[in-house]
Amino acid sequence: MKFSFSHRRAFVGGITAALLALTAGMASAQADKPLRIGFSMARTGMLANATPSQMNTYELWREQTNAKGGMDVGGVRRKVEFVVFDDQSKPEQAVRIYEKLITDDKVDLLLAPWGTPFHLAIAPVLEKFKFPMVGNTAASVALRQVKPGYIWFPTSAIPDRIGAELTAMLKTQNVKSVAVLSNVLPFTKEIKNFLEPELKKAGIEIKVSTEYPPDIADMTSTLTQIKQANVDAVLALAYPGDSVLYAKQAKELGLNQPFQFVAIGPSDAFFPKAVGAASAEGVVTIAHWSPRAEWKGSQAFYDAYVKKFGEDPDYLNSALAWMSLEILETTVAKTGLDKGKMRDMISSTTFDTINGKVKFEGVQNVITPTAFVQTQKGKLQLVWPASMASSKFEAKKGW
Amino acid sequence: MTVLETLLSGQLLFAALVTGSLYALIALGLNLVYGTMRLLNVAHGEVVMLGAYAAYWAFTAWDLSPLLVAPVVAAAGGLLGYALYRGIFKSLLADSSAAQVQRMESNSLLLFFGLSIVLQNAAALVFTPNNRAYNYLGTVYHLGSVSMTGNRLAALCVAGTCCLLVALFLGRSVFGLATRAVIERREAAFIVGVNVDRVQWLSFVLGFASAALAGVLVSMLGQFSPFSGFPYTIAGFIVIILGGLGNAMAGLLAALLLGVIETYGVALTSANMRSMLLYGAFVAALLLFPNGVFARRAAAR
Repeated sequence: MKFSFSHRRAFVGGITAALLALTAGMASAQADKPLRIGFSMARTGMLANATPSQMNTYELWREQTNAKGGMDVGGVRRKVEFVVFDDQSKPEQAVRIYEKLITDDKVDLLLAPWGTPFHLAIAPVLEKFKFPMVGNTAASVALRQVKPGYIWFPTSAIPDRIGAELTAMLKTQNVKSVAVLSNVLPFTKEIKNFLEPELKKAGIEIKVSTEYPPDIADMTSTLTQIKQANVDAVLALAYPGDSVLYAKQAKELGLNQPFQFVAIGPSDAFFPKAVGAASAEGVVTIAHWSPRAEWKGSQAFYDAYVKKFGEDPDYLNSALAWMSLEILETTVAKTGLDKGKMRDMISSTTFDTINGKVKFEGVQNVITPTAFVQTQKGKLQLVWPASMASSKFEAKKGW
Repeated sequence: MTVLETLLSGQLLFAALVTGSLYALIALGLNLVYGTMRLLNVAHGEVVMLGAYAAYWAFTAWDLSPLLVAPVVAAAGGLLGYALYRGIFKSLLADSSAAQVQRMESNSLLLFFGLSIVLQNAAALVFTPNNRAYNYLGTVYHLGSVSMTGNRLAALCVAGTCCLLVALFLGRSVFGLATRAVIERREAAFIVGVNVDRVQWLSFVLGFASAALAGVLVSMLGQFSPFSGFPYTIAGFIVIILGGLGNAMAGLLAALLLGVIETYGVALTSANMRSMLLYGAFVAALLLFPNGVFARRAAAR
C-alpha cells in the first residue's frame, strides 16, 4: 500500500489546524464566562437509539434558559453552555468522562447520562469529588443501595413497585391468567423477577413465561405459543428496540387480549408512527407523567417540545429529564454553585415539578406514585393509580 | 404445543421462509464479493442499514411506497458499490503479486471494518440514532390457519424472486459462467480470456445492490437504527459458510436452512437460544462440512 509522506503531513497538518480552531473557540468562550454544564451521552453504540428523548429535553432547556438571559445562579443570570462527550454506550467510559468533566474541564454543574448502569457507575465519582447531580433516566431496586448524598433519582418506575402496581391493576380488570414475555436486558428482567411472585401471590395464573434476547428479529415462535395459551392479558416486557416487532407480530397472529402491556417504547412518539395509530391504541405502558393543569408547566413543556422537535416528548424519559433540570434550577437559584449547600437543599426541599411535588428521602423520590399510561384516541392518558388518573382504562380492541 | 404440532405449524413455516429469504438475499451479495475477489465485506450490513433508511425517508417524507422505490434504492446501492470498487479496490486488486494477494484478504477486512464504522457513525450523525420504523402494508391476510402481514408477504416474494433470478442468471448466462470461473480459478479465468475486471465490478454492483434492496425489505418488518446492520453481516457469513463459497444456488438453500434452524429451533427451545442455534450451525458447518453443506458437487468438480 502506498501512503506518501506528503499525504501524511497534510493529514497531520489538518488535525493540528482543527485542534487549534477548537481550542481557540474554547478560549474565547471562557472570556464571556458562561455557565458550563457537563454530561456524557450515548451518541453511539447499542443505547444510542434510546437517548434522543433525553438529549432533546436538555437541548430544549438550554435554549429556553438562554432565551431568558441564562440560568439564575444565586441571583445572577448566566448563559448556559453544554460540555458533552459520547460515552459510546459504555458505563466505564462514562466514569472516565465524569472524572474528566470535574477535574479537567472544571464544569460548573453536571447533568445525568442515560440509563441505570450509567447512573450507578458514576455515583462513586460524584461521591469522591462531592459533586451533586440530580439523576433522571435510571430505575432499579439497585439504586436504593447507592450511598445517599450526591445523587438523587426522581423516578417512581422502580421494578418492585411496578410488579406490585401492575398486579393490582390487573386485579381490578379481573384478569385471571397472563403470558409474560421479557427481554433479557436488565430493567425488564428485573421487572419480571418482581412481577411474577406478585402475580402468583394475587392468584393470577402465569400460563406462559418466556424470555428473548435483545437482537430478536422474529417473534413468531414465542407469540404462537402465547396465542395457544389463551390468556386474559399479555405482559410484554419489551425494550424500545423490540416493542415495535412485538406490536406488528401480535397483530399478525391476532393476539386480541383486551389488556396489552408493553413495558418500554409506547411512551415514545416513534411508537404510534412505527406501528400505526390503530395498533398503538389501547396499549398500556410505564410512565408517571402526562401534561395536565394541576402540574404547573407540564403543558408548556409539552407544547415547547412538540414545537421544537415535531413529535411528542417521551412521557417517561423526557419528563424525568425535565424534572431533574427543574430541581437543579430551583436549587442553584437559591444556593449558587456551592456544592455543599446544593446538596443540603436537594436532600431536604420539596420541589415543584411538571410531575407534581418531588421530595427525596435518601436517594429516592418519595412522593410520585408508580403509574401506568394508556394510549387513548392517540393520546397517552394516566390510567393508574386511580388517585392521579386522567382517564379510565379501556379494553384494547385488537391491533 | 407438542413437538409434532410445532413442526407442522404453517405459521412457523411462513416465519422461517421470510427469515430465510432475507438471509438469502443478504448472503448473495456477500458471497459474490467474497467469491470473486476474496474481499471480506464486513460493511455489508451497513449497506442493508442504508437501504432501510432510504426506504424509510422515501415513505415518511414523500409518501412513496417502499416497493416502488426499491429498484431505485438498489440502483443507488449498486452505484455505491461501483464507486467503491473504482475508487479503492481496483488499484489494490491490480497488484497481483502473491504476497499482495495474500495480504489483500486481511487488508480488505480492515478496510471494510473501517468503512462499516464510518457508515454507522455517519448515519448516526445524519439520521440521529433514533429508532426508525414505519407502518406499510399492515393488513393481515389469512390462508388457512396461517396469518400473514402484507409487508412480510411482500418481503418474502421480492427477496425470493430476486434471489432466484440472480441464481438463474449466474447459473445460465455467460457472465455467470465467467463469474464462477473467477471464483474457482482467478488466474486461469484470466488466462482463458475472462474479463476479470468486468466480473469484479459487476459483482460489486450486484452485491451492494442486493444488500440495499434487502435493507428496503427489512425496514418494512421491524425497526432499525444506524447500528442494526451488523447482525445481518453475521447472518450472511453463516449462510456463506453453510452453503459454500461462491455457490449462489447452495447459498439460497443454506439461507432457508438457517431460517428453519432459527425459527423451529427457537420454537422447540427458547428465544434465548437463538444465538446459540445460529453460531452452533456455524461451528457445526465448519467442523463437519468445511466446504459447505450443499457444496459437495462443486468441491468434487
